Amino acid sequence: MSIFKSINISASGLTAERLRMDIISKNIANANTTRTSSGTPYRRQVPVFREVQSKTSFTTHLGNAMNTSGNGVEVIAIKEDTSPFKKTFDPGHPDADKDGYVQLPNIDTVTEMVNMISASRAYEANITALNATKAMALKALEIGK
Amino acid sequence: MIEKSFKNIQLLEKALDASWLRNEAISNNIANVNTPNYKREEVRFDAVLSKSISDLTVDAKITHKKHIPFTNSANIPMITKDNSNFRKDGNSVNIDVEMAELAKNSIMYNALSQRVSGFFNRLRMVIRDGR
Repeated sequence: MSIFKSINISASGLTAERLRMDIISKNIANANTTRTSSGTPYRRQVPVFREVQSKTSFTTHLGNAMNTSGNGVEVIAIKEDTSPFKKTFDPGHPDADKDGYVQLPNIDTVTEMVNMISASRAYEANITALNATKAMALKALEIGK
Repeated sequence: MIEKSFKNIQLLEKALDASWLRNEAISNNIANVNTPNYKREEVRFDAVLSKSISDLTVDAKITHKKHIPFTNSANIPMITKDNSNFRKDGNSVNIDVEMAELAKNSIMYNALSQRVSGFFNRLRMVIRDGR
């Protein structure tokens, strides 16, 4: 129970949501990208969130004994969505195969927009928590004035 | 006499600590709102209260330097995990509940710290002979 732990927790939430937002922007920007360095169309990327866990089991047990709360959230990986690419018939496209089909990225713009709103709202919620913590800490400083 | 009047403030102090701990737990729940399989943390106020009351009332006198300090505080977990499922991804955080809890908790903290301030102001008034 330290003064700045809550603020650090909220900051970890802000960082994670901002990274999620960056990845969503990247996905939307690459919604029609047919060429990448690996030769395939662009694959949708997904951040994997995890609750921050203690490094050793000793600190976990110590934390349980001392009644401490968790330590926020972290992004442990950015994984690729393995769902199949979209196929459209467009024989004039330079990347069309011999039957005239083009493979497009497995990105659904609507899904990305919905995720974007979710990330944005979660970011706002973290800001609110941070402001509440700040107000409480300042109130505690006024004791005895 | 003055020690007795400080008992009151000690209780308020514990309540402030508990409120701060609850703020940490709520912040953690909000930060993990999009984490799959995260279970919401909850600070149980009754556990904190009974622990602090037992801390305040039960005291064994140490009359010998080899005595072990004695406290009757049972080890009650103050932070519990809510293992229910709220969403399909196994996360049990309801953001509306968390925001409401956050608002409630800040008001509670403000009220408590105001009482502590009030106590010190009264004490100061007494020291200054009512002026």
